[in-house]
Amino acid sequence: MASEVQNSNPTILNVADLPTRLSSAAASKAGTGSTGALASIFSTSAYSIDWPTGLNLSSDSSDEDVIEEPIDEQEIYDLISSISDPEHPISLGALAVVSLPDIAIKPTLPDVLGSDLRTISVLITPTITHCSLATVIGLGVRVRLEQSLPPRFRVDVRIKEGSHSTAEEVNKQLADKERVAAALENGTLMGVIAKMLESCR
Amino acid sequence: MSALQTFMLVVDHDKQEAQQIAERVAQDVESKKTTLIEVVQSLVEYVNDEDPILRGKAVSFLTAVIKELPPKFLTRQQIQVLTTFFCDRAQDGGAVAGLETLQKLDRFNKPLAEEVARAIFEQFQDLQSRSQSQRFQVYQLLNELMLNYRSALHDMGDESLVGIVDLVTGEKDPRNLMLVFSILKVVMVEWDISTHAELLFDAVYNYFPITFRPPPNDPYGITAQDLKDRLQDCISSNSLFAPHAIPSLLDKLDSTSPNVKRDALNALIACIESYDPNTVSRYSITIWETLKFEILNAQEEFLSELSLKVLQGITKRLSEGITQISDQLPLAQYLRPITKECNEQLREPQQKQAKPAQQILSSVSSASAPAFTLIVQTVVAPLLTIYQEADGIAKQRALLDTLGVLFDSSIKVFGEWASRDSELTFENPLLEFKDQFSEIFGQALMGAIKEEVSFRTSALKGLLRLSVLRDYFQDNEIGLFVQYLDEILLKEESVGRDDIKKEAITALTEISKHKPRLILDITFPAFVATLPDSIEEADKGYMKTLDVLAKISVEKDIFETLVRRLLSKLNVLLQREHSGSVEYPRAILLTILFVMNQRKMEEDPNLEFYYDKIVVSLCRSAAAGSTSPAPNNILSDATVLDVLGRLCNLIVRALPRSKQDEIAQNVYTLFTSTEEFQPVPFAPSPNASQKRTMILSTAILAALPADVPNLPYATNPNMSALLADMANRATGETEPATQYAFLRHLALLANKFLPKSDLALASDLFYALLPPGSETSRVNPGTIHTLFWLSKGLVLRLAPTTTQHLTSLLALVSSVDEETSLTAARSFSILLRHDEILSATNGANIRLLCRQRVFTTLTPQISSRIREVNLSSSSAAAAEPQPQTQHIKPAHLTALSGILSTIPPPLVLPELPTLLPLLLQTLDLSTAASTPVRLATLSTLAVIIRDNGVAVIDQCGHVQSLVTRLLSTAEYSPANHHPKLRVDALNCLYLLAQTPGSSSSGGAESAAPAIARTGRLSPLLPVKNQVVRALRAILDDPKREVRKAAVDARAAWLRGVDDAGDEED
Repeated sequence: MASEVQNSNPTILNVADLPTRLSSAAASKAGTGSTGALASIFSTSAYSIDWPTGLNLSSDSSDEDVIEEPIDEQEIYDLISSISDPEHPISLGALAVVSLPDIAIKPTLPDVLGSDLRTISVLITPTITHCSLATVIGLGVRVRLEQSLPPRFRVDVRIKEGSHSTAEEVNKQLADKERVAAALENGTLMGVIAKMLESCR
Repeated sequence: MSALQTFMLVVDHDKQEAQQIAERVAQDVESKKTTLIEVVQSLVEYVNDEDPILRGKAVSFLTAVIKELPPKFLTRQQIQVLTTFFCDRAQDGGAVAGLETLQKLDRFNKPLAEEVARAIFEQFQDLQSRSQSQRFQVYQLLNELMLNYRSALHDMGDESLVGIVDLVTGEKDPRNLMLVFSILKVVMVEWDISTHAELLFDAVYNYFPITFRPPPNDPYGITAQDLKDRLQDCISSNSLFAPHAIPSLLDKLDSTSPNVKRDALNALIACIESYDPNTVSRYSITIWETLKFEILNAQEEFLSELSLKVLQGITKRLSEGITQISDQLPLAQYLRPITKECNEQLREPQQKQAKPAQQILSSVSSASAPAFTLIVQTVVAPLLTIYQEADGIAKQRALLDTLGVLFDSSIKVFGEWASRDSELTFENPLLEFKDQFSEIFGQALMGAIKEEVSFRTSALKGLLRLSVLRDYFQDNEIGLFVQYLDEILLKEESVGRDDIKKEAITALTEISKHKPRLILDITFPAFVATLPDSIEEADKGYMKTLDVLAKISVEKDIFETLVRRLLSKLNVLLQREHSGSVEYPRAILLTILFVMNQRKMEEDPNLEFYYDKIVVSLCRSAAAGSTSPAPNNILSDATVLDVLGRLCNLIVRALPRSKQDEIAQNVYTLFTSTEEFQPVPFAPSPNASQKRTMILSTAILAALPADVPNLPYATNPNMSALLADMANRATGETEPATQYAFLRHLALLANKFLPKSDLALASDLFYALLPPGSETSRVNPGTIHTLFWLSKGLVLRLAPTTTQHLTSLLALVSSVDEETSLTAARSFSILLRHDEILSATNGANIRLLCRQRVFTTLTPQISSRIREVNLSSSSAAAAEPQPQTQHIKPAHLTALSGILSTIPPPLVLPELPTLLPLLLQTLDLSTAASTPVRLATLSTLAVIIRDNGVAVIDQCGHVQSLVTRLLSTAEYSPANHHPKLRVDALNCLYLLAQTPGSSSSGGAESAAPAIARTGRLSPLLPVKNQVVRALRAILDDPKREVRKAAVDARAAWLRGVDDAGDEED
């Protein structure tokens, strides 16, 4: 690993500006209508009237429980955007190394009806075009996704076109299963990746 | 044998004996039986001996004798002779101690001190080859001379300076160094060191950085920090050290160890604080050039913070005594390269190094008014230019934030409106840019598209800072900002998480502290105007309005106005004909409750007014309206009465005692006359509205002190009839809110107002409701609730019959009637649950040990009962199933989880071996009805695991069974339909794999991996594969929150549970 910092002054996005899932479900659940998240002084927990019947679980939420929430691009983004960059204690999201539009989920076998196999493709954009850590970052993203997704998902991590001088080389490395497996046996490399994943929430 | 000989024989092994000998000789000298000369002469035989040990012992004898003499006994000549003698013999043991004794005597003098000092310097050239204790004695003597005869040493000038430095050079013992540093510091501060600055500096700087680490159980208790502090004091003691100190300290910043760098930076700060400003000025730019790197490419946060402190320290020193700001000032010269660098970095304000540049500006500009002025002059104009040319909103936003940093500094330097500092001599340099700021920030806040939340938020924060900055904006300018905020809150649609609205509320609250008038004049009318005058017109918008009003009404005048306006609004509503939803009037009351809760009502000057308008008037309306036709249903609605009750409770509690005594009579009449309203207790057939007023009565009663006189129905002859009436009404009541009021009223009476001597009355009532032996037959739910609430009142005060009551209640759970059993089981959580009426705030009688008692009484009984059921069901399984007892085990588990949910975890822990099997059995329940029980169990488990780690589970031998049950609870299946169940189970799994107790127990070791700590493999290792595999399937749960929890749990197991313990062992 290069000991010298390669890009000491990258551009950083403001955390508040990163894409997040608006808790639309939560808002409508609190939902005495349009009060939204604002009306905190009327929050039910602080001023509710609890009846004497002890453990009485309200079964009102049963309708919502039925609604399925499939894994979507935002969820993938949330999984990988909190990975730290190996050079800076800054998240990949804030450095715009990963971004929401560059994540896609597609059926792996579009011709087979009812197949639930999915392929996730993630394009990463290194902060500078000659970044030798691009492979490590790609590997980190891959490891995080493989740890966090059910078996029916295939993961495809690549460097975004035109963002890196040796993109083809790196992509080949990242796509080669055996090379990835070999890399994951490497203690030092796994140490670096474990450190990157520490900040994942 | 002479005294001397005896002394020399015993001195090594019997200190006490030796001292006694010396005492005797001293007495002889004192009483003139012998003379000092004879004592000295007796030494002759030994003081010239070849053996240094013998010589030492002989000299010690003399020292010991002198020590025992009274301080005024020796004449000046004698002291002189003795001093000379000891000085000659300084190298012999005991001589140094003798000198130390002599210099304490009254007749010792300056020339002698000089002689002693010289003797020390001459005779101890080889001091460092001697033992630690000998060196310590010499330093101690020197230190004493420093204290008592400093002028003598001072007058010796360079001789003493060089002498001392030579003497101490090479010292390594930390105890000695503590003394050495303090001696040297005196020399550094008081001597003329101009010719020997480097010598002195080197004498102490050789020890930098201190790497001493005290041995374990060090009896002297000297820490590295003690040494560092003294060393730092020395380095920073004299400006003449600057040419040596500052370059050396800056060099140390090249070190790879962050600790060395920390010490160097701390020393730099100390130097800057104590060297004279001219010296500081000479090195200021050099220091900046070096520290720049530390801040812009921060390795560690604390190093960057310390570096910023250094820069700020320099700025403060260079600002001293400035009356006129000019470019020629040393301060200006120092700031020039700094602002240049910052300007350069801030040109691209989104890049990583813009942040440290902001920090530099912040710490330097907040140091003083002149510094702030100089910085504003060079920084603001370029920033504004970049802003105008900026190509994107993100960049503009970063620039607004940078300006915000300067505004913060400005507040630090010039104060806020509300702060009462003295007037400053300098004008705020930001005034020059006032119009530009108004325009840019106003435009950014109101002109940007609504989706640019973070950009608008930055603008809002900037304007807020300028609004609270003292003597900056005019009132009309702040007023304009307030109008912006009103507009944001009242007119704008919600966007995203409503961050901008939250910020707007915070801003209004902040402004209300500084300019309450503006809020009252602008915001209040605008908001109150949107509140509808009748319920029919009320759309949900009023909630937002009330919410905002409540939050900004922190300041006294605003609070008062708000309450008055809301009360008159409420009165308008009460006059109108209406039936239907009462949410709007209830929200108004809730708002009043919220703002009153924020204030200390006891000190409120308008308390009487609130009492009349809210407690007396509204309660009377509620009571009178219950028996006669009222225009609307507002005051007969249970939820409205509940809020009104809390308000009354709050106000009555704050009233003076005399007033409270008066109120006692009105607890049930509710301030009505007899014609208007008949109180509920003992009323023959009250209607539903009438009974509902008990909600108010209960809340008011709870606010009264326990020993209040004149409580109705309480003393005629005792409370028995009232208790029975309440219990009776509670049992038969069908409306839940009213029943709740009766139940709490009963519990309140039994807990707080029933005299200790009359406790038997409550116990009698208990057995009247539940005759002994009737526990296993059918009992109606109303009676069960009454029993539990009555018991709650008694258990909290630990009445003598507590145990019997608890046992009777538990017997209900074994009832063959399923409904009785389940109702009772669910009610166990009532006993200790927090209740707003029976609370410590209301002065309820809550004993500390009541939780312990409930837990230790009930848990063993539940545990043995479940074992019984398990046994009988397994033996009966072959024969014939017993359908009427199948519910008993789940019911007991329900009761248990109800109790556990109200017991603090530390109490639970000792019982864990008994409890854990029971808790695991609750996780096996799979009916929908058991969901709350399982949730309660999971939250208990989560707390236990979080605080104590996997070790406690392992000690009970249940890791495997716990993990298996957690995994099956986390699985998506009809039994685990409720997503929270699955999330909580996953959370427990996550906590299992976390290293435990890093915050609580464990101490320094807790940072090490689990294996290294316990010295063996993690107990989780055998199940790791099972967990990781099972969790992979759960990653496909249909609910997002469950998947999130599964991801976290799986990551924790992959990361935290090590395959091999090869880290350290």
